[in-house]
Amino acid sequence: MAEFECRLKMYRQMKDLTQEQLAEKVGVRRETIMRLEKAQYNPSLKLAVDISRAVEAPIEEIFVFQ
Amino acid sequence: MKTSKKKIWIGCGIFCVLSALLSSWYAVAYNDSRLVVPMDFKDYVFDIKDLPMIVSIFLVCVYLAALFVMLFIHGGKKRRQAKETDVTRKINPKLGCLGVLGFLGFAGFWTYPVDGTVFPFAFFLFFGFFGFYYEGKMSGTFMDERFRENIVRAKLKAYRITFGVMHAALIILCQGKLFGNLEYTLIAAIISLSLALGLGIFLSEYLLYRYDHDDQAEEGGE
Repeated sequence: MAEFECRLKMYRQMKDLTQEQLAEKVGVRRETIMRLEKAQYNPSLKLAVDISRAVEAPIEEIFVFQ
Repeated sequence: MKTSKKKIWIGCGIFCVLSALLSSWYAVAYNDSRLVVPMDFKDYVFDIKDLPMIVSIFLVCVYLAALFVMLFIHGGKKRRQAKETDVTRKINPKLGCLGVLGFLGFAGFWTYPVDGTVFPFAFFLFFGFFGFYYEGKMSGTFMDERFRENIVRAKLKAYRITFGVMHAALIILCQGKLFGNLEYTLIAAIISLSLALGLGIFLSEYLLYRYDHDDQAEEGGE
C-alpha cells in the first residue's frame, strides 16, 4: 500500500462534522472514517471523491501521497 | 418468511409425518407389514390395502421436494436482499452449535469395522459450521468497501490455508499405503479432506470477524 498522509480530520472538523455524520454522508461505516484519518486505509477513487465533495476540499489536499 | 406461511409449512410437515405413521401402523396391523419391511419389488402386485402407504410416501416425497425448492428460493431472495441493502444476512449466533455435528464423523470409526461404511467420516466437514457463530455476531453489519475488502482478504487467506492443508495431506497420503492397507489410506484421505474443507468454511468467517473486530478494538470513538 502506498504511504500517504491524510488530512481528513482537519477538513472534517472545519466543516463541523462528526465521524458518524461524515460516514453517513459518504455511505461507509464510522470505523472506515477512523481508519482513513489514521491513514491506515487506502480508499477507492469513488470514496475519495465522495469525501472530497462532502468536506468541500480537493482530493489532493486531503490525501497527500509521499 | 411470514409467520402464517411458516405455520402452513410446519402444519403440512406434521400432516405428512402423521399420515406416514398412520399408514405404517395400518400396514403393520392389517396388511402383513407390506411396504414397511424390506420386500422384493420384482414380484410386487398392487393391492388396494397398499394404497394408504403409497399415498403417504407420495405425500412425504412431494413435501420434501417442495420444502427443498422453497428453501432454495428463500435463500436466493435473502442473497438478493443482502445485495440490495448492503447489509450482512441476519442469522442467530446459536447456529454455530451446528458445528457439534462434526463429532458425527467419529461414527465412522464405529461403522467401518461393523459393515465397511466410510461415509460418516465426511461428517467432520460439519465442524465448519462453528463459523456460523462469528457470522451471527456480524449479522446486520453494513457492508461498506472496507468490509467487502476484508471479506475478500479473509476468504483468500482461508482458501490458501485450506489448499495448503489439502496439498500437504495428499502428498503424505500419496507416499503409499498407510499401515500397509489401501483402505486406511483412503479413509485418512476422506478425513483429512473433510477436516480441511471444514477448516476453510470456519476460517473464512472467523478471519473476517477478527479483521473487523481487531480494527474496531484499535479505534477510539469520537
